[in-house]
Amino acid sequence: MKFNKQNKILFLDPNSDHIHADEKVHIVLSPSLYWVKKISIPVKSIREVKKLLPSIFEDVLPDGKYSYSAYKSDKDSEFLIFAYEDKKILDTLVKQNISIANIVSVHFAQSELSHITEAIGVNETQSICVKDGMVILVPRYLTKNSIKLDWNSVSLSNHKIVVQQFAHIVDKKSLYGIFTVLAVLILLVFSELYITNKKSKNISELKDELFAKNSLKPTIAQNQAVLKKYKTMYSEQTKLREYISYLLDLRLKRNEQITFVSFQEAKVIVSFSGTNEKNFSHITSLLKSKKVTFTTSHTNGILNLEILL
Amino acid sequence: MNRINPLYATILLLVVLAIGMLKLSNSRDELKELEKVYKTTNRLSTELTALKDVYSDKGKVKESLQNILKQPVLRSALLKSDFKKSSVNISSEDMDINSLNLLMNKILNTSYNINSLDIKRISDEKVSFKMEIKW
Repeated sequence: MKFNKQNKILFLDPNSDHIHADEKVHIVLSPSLYWVKKISIPVKSIREVKKLLPSIFEDVLPDGKYSYSAYKSDKDSEFLIFAYEDKKILDTLVKQNISIANIVSVHFAQSELSHITEAIGVNETQSICVKDGMVILVPRYLTKNSIKLDWNSVSLSNHKIVVQQFAHIVDKKSLYGIFTVLAVLILLVFSELYITNKKSKNISELKDELFAKNSLKPTIAQNQAVLKKYKTMYSEQTKLREYISYLLDLRLKRNEQITFVSFQEAKVIVSFSGTNEKNFSHITSLLKSKKVTFTTSHTNGILNLEILL
Repeated sequence: MNRINPLYATILLLVVLAIGMLKLSNSRDELKELEKVYKTTNRLSTELTALKDVYSDKGKVKESLQNILKQPVLRSALLKSDFKKSSVNISSEDMDINSLNLLMNKILNTSYNINSLDIKRISDEKVSFKMEIKW
């Protein structure tokens, strides 16, 4: 009974037999799936090396979208650098019926097999061997005895890569750029939304305060009706005082006098005694010039003036 | 080793952004409307308060009328005043023209709400007087 089940190790080569995996597996990439170089440069960290990789491989690689990897070799200032096409690896995995979800880790043959002393047969026509420290694929007929390797006996190193599933659509940098821009825009929009909602709340509170402070009626319409009533009252009272001042300004003839003044229901009635039925224009002309609406009636020497406010 | 399709992630972010912008637009419209209503309410409240102060302050109107009617020069007019809940009736059956002029001068120069007025000349120097002021 195995309590610690180790995951299977599969060698991925485009020309190998279909391998198929339903369980979790580690993948070792065939040299045909990547480019490798050994370089000596006077830098201290892997990070600095990785920045230089695209330019180092620039003249070597055919057209395509590549990802890069590097690790330090056993010798000082010596690095092993890799370039690989994520799409090519993904296509090979699909062809071999290996689900991405089942892959635990992906390694280069260079990092896992550099210690082998004998050639290893990988398919009918090719073998892997190590030449000058580099793991290479060679035609099978060039190697005398290619052994069959039990891949599950290989002790995997920590040098692994993560195959980007969509690197061929958009590279990581651009993706992060797009996401950052969208995230910033979303942040700005929602911040403004928060501020706007807060302003709305403040204004609502101010409006409620206004209603309470001034003892206003519950609705605007009701308050507008009350205002209309007061405005009518104001207009009427102003006109009343204005028209009374006109009446007081009248130059009456000797026998003429005001005998009655009444105001009720927006109507002012004034009676003038001693007036001539045919000659009272000196009374009405002032009102006409002030554009006052009035009617007149004359009975028994009394002129009755009715002014509408 | 599964990764989310960046296209789906981008679409999701774009949808979130679109929803945010739509909500923001609605929120802005709502704010504009509230500001408009507040301005209207404020203006209305100012006008209404001013007019109420002038015409409906019962205490103020009553006090100032009483002060006018108490004046010694109007004593001879024998004015009667009947204060009710929301109005006052001032009357005199027989007052001289000078008292009438003084009284009318005071009342017309103040913002009272004169509801009715009745002045009848009785003789050359005398009139009868009736007035109702409301608040």
